[in-house]
Amino acid sequence: MPDLPRKKIGLIACSGEELAEGTVTRRAVRKVLETLRPDDTVTLCLPLFLAGGEGERAFARHYPTIAVDGCDKRCAALATEKYSAKPAASIVVNETADAAECHDIGTARHLNEAGMQFADSVARLIAEETDRLLKKPRRKTSGLAADFGGCSCSSGLPSGTVRILGRATRIAGLPLILAQFRDQERGPDQKTAAALLEAAKIYNEVPDSQQQAWKEALFLEYAQFLKEKD
Amino acid sequence: MSGTRPKIPVVPCSGIGKSLGAAAREAAFVLAEDLRPDKTKIVALSLLVLGDEEARREVAGHEAVAIDGCKLECAAKGLACSGASKIHKVAVFDVVRRHRGLKPEGVCDLNEDGLRLARATADEAAKIVDNVDAEGGHA
Repeated sequence: MPDLPRKKIGLIACSGEELAEGTVTRRAVRKVLETLRPDDTVTLCLPLFLAGGEGERAFARHYPTIAVDGCDKRCAALATEKYSAKPAASIVVNETADAAECHDIGTARHLNEAGMQFADSVARLIAEETDRLLKKPRRKTSGLAADFGGCSCSSGLPSGTVRILGRATRIAGLPLILAQFRDQERGPDQKTAAALLEAAKIYNEVPDSQQQAWKEALFLEYAQFLKEKD
Repeated sequence: MSGTRPKIPVVPCSGIGKSLGAAAREAAFVLAEDLRPDKTKIVALSLLVLGDEEARREVAGHEAVAIDGCKLECAAKGLACSGASKIHKVAVFDVVRRHRGLKPEGVCDLNEDGLRLARATADEAAKIVDNVDAEGGHA
């Protein structure tokens, strides 16, 4: 399995529409993404795990994630584990609220002032977990507004498009795979072609009947990639 | 309507990355809290994604309304996976085309246009709810 760079943490909020705590998860995650750790985080859309977001599933399989749940049903943590991989960290907002004796936080539609402040404190908690997972020194979490963070609705994992059997085919993780093989100074030979296919299969569904075509296409793509980088 | 009738489940997209997803979520609140509180009930999409039995029971075998922010239609797919008998789709990305002047922005805090879009979406959903209710299809 390629050792892909672990640059970003995926944040998964339950966003539960039935509870105020669900809204807290959402607001807290957005605050981390937009303001506290914009360079270190992406959001993953929980419903996309079910709706077939292969990018979301692939990201959570290979990058650390933090699940932020509103209640002890832990939809975000358990669904992430069910469809992809166990989150590296899990925060349950109503447990945090109980610990802080913060009970009246408003409604799912409108958080009150206490709810807003509580969301800010959950955001700081997420930022600290992010630092811990990235092994970065603890930073102040009251930072200035930064560039807008990226959302991974169209995948947190970079992808590339290659023509396979005459069709433009999106391959999740392709740029990272090509870069890693180049860094390992692997030449464009048949052994490399087989290894490229195996790496691509980690992030993509490759039908048995198309494996040879994928292998050939990846081989050509890699050869071209090396040529352009020379 | 009869007090014994179950409320029609409404499932909005939980989109956390785009304003249209946020408008879908807000539209569900407008529908279930302001426009048709006696006829509708929000069911959290995250529970359906997880396969929560209680949430599935509220949906399985019933007509339901999905309010989606983008073409991936997560809410509609969540309802389909949960056994809804019929899914009435309301697409914010279509509603916004019918209200071309609106420029929704923001996610946690929608701007005024975003709130207007949510209201327009909820109005369309309310008509669907009334039709379903009139036909008694959700009972």
